[in-house]
Amino acid sequence: MIAVLGAGNWGTTLADLIASNGHAVRLWTRAPAQRDEVNARRTNEAAVPGLRIAEGVSATSDLGEAVRGAELVVMVIPSRGFREVSSALGEVLAPEQAVLHATKGLERESNARMSEVLLAETCARQIGVLSGPNLAAEIARRKPAGTVVASRFPHVIELARRALSCPRMMVFAGDDVLGVELAGALKNVVAIAAGAATEMDIGENAKALLVTRGLAEVTRLAVTMGANPLTLAGLAGIGDLMVTCASPRSRNHRVGAALARGERLPDILAGLGMVAEGVYAAVAARDLARAHRVEAPLLDGVYRVLYEGTGCEQALRELMTLPAGRDVARFQSAS
Amino acid sequence: MQPGTGWDEAHIASEVVARKVERILRDASVDGGRGLGAVINETLYHERVRLQGAPDDERTRADGAFHARVRRDLPHATPARQRALVREIVARYVGEITGHFDPRVYRFATRVLPYALSGLMQGFSPSALLGELRGASHLDEHLLLEGEVEGLQGVAALGTVILAPTHSSNLDSLLIGYAIYRMKLPPLLYGAGLNLFSNPLTSFFMHNLGAYTVDRRKADPLYRETLKEYATVALEGGRHNLFFPGGTRSRSGEIESRAKLGLLGAGLAAYRHSLLRGSAARVFVVPCTISYPLVLEAASLVRSFLQETGRSAYVVVEDESSRAQRWVDFLRGIAALDLRVHVRIGRALDPFGDEVDAQGGSLDPRGRPIDPRRYLLRDGAVTEDPARDAEYTRALGRRLVESWRRDSVALPTSALAFALMDVLRRDLAQPDLYRLLRAIGADTPVDTARVEAAVDRLLAELQALERAGGIQLGDGLRATDGRDVVDRGLRGLGAYHATPVVERRGAQLVVLDADLLFFYRNRLEGYGLLGAPRLCPAAGPR
Repeated sequence: MIAVLGAGNWGTTLADLIASNGHAVRLWTRAPAQRDEVNARRTNEAAVPGLRIAEGVSATSDLGEAVRGAELVVMVIPSRGFREVSSALGEVLAPEQAVLHATKGLERESNARMSEVLLAETCARQIGVLSGPNLAAEIARRKPAGTVVASRFPHVIELARRALSCPRMMVFAGDDVLGVELAGALKNVVAIAAGAATEMDIGENAKALLVTRGLAEVTRLAVTMGANPLTLAGLAGIGDLMVTCASPRSRNHRVGAALARGERLPDILAGLGMVAEGVYAAVAARDLARAHRVEAPLLDGVYRVLYEGTGCEQALRELMTLPAGRDVARFQSAS
Repeated sequence: MQPGTGWDEAHIASEVVARKVERILRDASVDGGRGLGAVINETLYHERVRLQGAPDDERTRADGAFHARVRRDLPHATPARQRALVREIVARYVGEITGHFDPRVYRFATRVLPYALSGLMQGFSPSALLGELRGASHLDEHLLLEGEVEGLQGVAALGTVILAPTHSSNLDSLLIGYAIYRMKLPPLLYGAGLNLFSNPLTSFFMHNLGAYTVDRRKADPLYRETLKEYATVALEGGRHNLFFPGGTRSRSGEIESRAKLGLLGAGLAAYRHSLLRGSAARVFVVPCTISYPLVLEAASLVRSFLQETGRSAYVVVEDESSRAQRWVDFLRGIAALDLRVHVRIGRALDPFGDEVDAQGGSLDPRGRPIDPRRYLLRDGAVTEDPARDAEYTRALGRRLVESWRRDSVALPTSALAFALMDVLRRDLAQPDLYRLLRAIGADTPVDTARVEAAVDRLLAELQALERAGGIQLGDGLRATDGRDVVDRGLRGLGAYHATPVVERRGAQLVVLDADLLFFYRNRLEGYGLLGAPRLCPAAGPR
């Protein structure tokens, strides 16, 4: 039995995917109406319009009932509510249970990674992270995709593969939990810049320039914090960046586009009606870059556009007039 | 000793041999296993390399003769003979590891130790000491035993304890031996490097203080696995153990920022074996810090550190801890200056790194009771999973490091060194550590008033950090000011080392040994004090 905590669009989609693979799934949601809708009508229209949820999914509003006896607990909770749910999870989780989270964000104020929150709030040790180019809407419509599961525990990867892997979902393995978490959170900031660039119509060259330099900054920061540089070139890094930057569907992309039209942040967020992790990740990115003394002008520019009223045009001008250093770090061949 | 595990030394040794041999035979016979001949050849290879550089003494010749015989037999050995050879090799290693240990001498040495150390402080010569047991114990005044002493006594009655201190000096194991005696705990088993047997004074205690032998020059993986197996079986047999998870003494003076996981994993292995045998025996890991105002062998440690990390022209002198006279000088110095060494016991952990309560029950990070056995369950049964268990041990190592940092006791010598180094760093503005140390080496006096002001700022930060539970302060740093700390620091740093580290000249301070100043300031590295960047190069990869 597998527990999925959180019935937003990604949580519901994952629950459906896992159940389609023949597993019993308990889907936890706080809202009784949503629970009843899933159980009675096999739909969750607010989260994933049009999806007919597989029979193996049963929804519950009781966290203990969802988690007890599950060999794998999949957390799909936005970063803002992650600690609260983790804390409640700590009351019902047993030490032998594995926890996989699929949250691409960092905690506000503390800038903690989600695996760190789990370690601080629960007895969970066998922890993993799921990330990659996974637009929920496409996966809900049964389109093929690939994802990465990173854990220091091979058993967690094995459990995740058993749950998720099928002809329409490739599950790649990794052990760089920190790298995958940082890539998933920080690329959202770059996606906002890409959204703005698209809206500003500055051309594909400039957009590629922004995205690549943005990834270089994310890589520099993540590596300083202990990530494997190659993680950023994997599905959780470039893979996810390609989908978020290319797809106007992505929330962060939409935030960037609205900023370029001169809309104000509170109005944008109100209009979106969903969480755009990049809006918070921009604060984390700036704090972390300062704390680790890493230069990140593009990430900093996004922060200033979001929170200090800097215009997109001006931020772009500033970036374009910075001295251009090395493209990539010097390579030391192994031979 | 805990109930149900009354294994004697002979049983422990034979159990180690039996398990190790069984494991080798199993690994060699599985599909894709490399066969026993390859295992034996690997041992012969590593041992031949080691013996080529070894001194020509009795031990070397005996090892050489043994290997020659194995090498001669191997080509014609039947499978049964190969198994016998493997058993001989393992038994030989086990005999060597446990060879010095004798429980009777062990108990005697534990009683003698406090008198001996106190005697040294009063100025007896080491040779007289070993003959005489007179002398009132002054040691108590110079060794402060703090922290969770009752907690340690409590868990030692509930299960087997691994005491895990920071490691700065070869004096550590003796001080811990004495601290254990004062806490009325049964003695600890301790793996001592062969080098500690070279100084006649330490050799006496090392032979007898529960020390088994660790030969760091033996690169044979089979030897290292046998050592770990010995620690595991001894823990299962109810022997409390002393591990220094940092591996070797801190060469930079900084508190260890990572634990070596090899031996540390023995705690979890012992716990798992006990569970699989149906025993409820528990294992606890108790962190501990030893904070010295002065470090016996600071000079050779820091020079060896600088030589390892930098492209410098430093030449390592002979380690001063190998000379008995040095120990006498050091202990007398501590007594004469009325300095105190702080041994601080931390909160007990289970083998997974969870804190435990007074009843020995494991707690999750939010203080909720949990059953640690369940970390080992898969499909309802306790299992062995090396990758999983290595991760648990890694987490334990992280918790130890956190505990060490919180429980380290800041003292005036380090506070003065840290503040002074920071003033010099700002003044000299050198781009790297080695140039900075060389620049300090030149004659660069600093106004004492500036250093006192820096110490004042440092004190405010240290006191705030202590309130937040991030460090401990020694008496010399409480309710005091920069001037007083500079005075106390100068007394310590000016007295013991061959050259004073810092000296007062009129209204100025002059650094005479920049390397030692660096060593003592490093004890406060990594806390983000005075906004200073990290000066001490971080340890290598995990």
